[in-house]
Amino acid sequence: MKEPSLLDVSPEKAGQDLVGLVLTVVELLRQLMERQAIRRVDEGDLTDEQVERIGTTLMMLDQRMTELCDQHGLRREDLNLDLGPLGSLLPYG
Amino acid sequence: MTAPVESGTGRTTVPPTATYVFAICRRPDKDVVSALPGLVDGSPVRMLAFGALAAVVQDVPTEDFCAEAWQRRLNDPTDLERCARAHHQVVCAVGAVGPTLPLALATLYHDDERARRRLTADTARFEAALGHVEGRVEWGVKVYAPHTSAEPTAAQSTTAPGPGSGRAYLAGVRRQRDVRRQLYDEGLRAAEQVDSAMRELAVEGRRLRCHGEEPTATGGRRTQVLNAAYLVEDPLRREVASTVESLRRRTGMEIEVSGPWIPYSFAGAGGGDARD
Repeated sequence: MKEPSLLDVSPEKAGQDLVGLVLTVVELLRQLMERQAIRRVDEGDLTDEQVERIGTTLMMLDQRMTELCDQHGLRREDLNLDLGPLGSLLPYG
Repeated sequence: MTAPVESGTGRTTVPPTATYVFAICRRPDKDVVSALPGLVDGSPVRMLAFGALAAVVQDVPTEDFCAEAWQRRLNDPTDLERCARAHHQVVCAVGAVGPTLPLALATLYHDDERARRRLTADTARFEAALGHVEGRVEWGVKVYAPHTSAEPTAAQSTTAPGPGSGRAYLAGVRRQRDVRRQLYDEGLRAAEQVDSAMRELAVEGRRLRCHGEEPTATGGRRTQVLNAAYLVEDPLRREVASTVESLRRRTGMEIEVSGPWIPYSFAGAGGGDARD
């Protein structure tokens, strides 16, 4: 039995939740781009230079994400939403 | 609490007590349940005979066990757990002496008369269900697929951008994705293997919805790939244990077994919102 989740309406907590939600959405977009990039690479229609550039960009986005999480006291695995019967929004690493 | 309810004002339309039904059984042996506390103090758990069958019942205050009260109780895990345990305790006591159909938690009738009338109408279904579970027990089996091991993430494996690092990063992401897919596919295959082996042993199997991903005790994560219940002949306890043990070895998956239970998943007695 799960504890009932009560809404904490303190400003700090609400701000923290909002940051977490925003970062989760950004992380979702980042992962979608990553998947799209891998698909394009697998299809072989990118030049070596393009692959390198996309890979570097995604890597830096990933690092930036880790930094943002550190700054806001979040862990990377906190960036997720439980969608109940649908599972989680993002796959866990 | 033991005072007769008729002593009230007579103005209220809802009687102060109602008949809560725990289970249906064949042999009305009241000694089995009379010592149990049931859901409330002050009124005994008793047998209510209908036809050749008997319902295990208790008088409970209507306002504490009506639909609205259960609705409130959903927000009170402690009290909900207390009720579930009390219900289960009665079901187990009855189940220990003969075939038993547990009714759903919160099955409440207006009074004995209505309960008897409604239950009598379902006699044929109860008889069939009792015949089906007699001499059999329920086992719960859950299979979990592990998640990516402690492998460093793509981001950690490459630190600074340099020649070739972009390509290496993408390769890392792909590897991680492949490992995850492979583990999940292996998990699903193992689930089928476990399910078919258990069905060979069981009279009936029922697959329930999987709970998806969840954290493990050791800080990792695992994915539930099988959540099933099996109705098995009672004497086959050893076979259940040895089958599961060999499945663990063969599949390498984490397999949790629980039981033997009173066959809750195979009672087919409904109950649900049987409030009358």
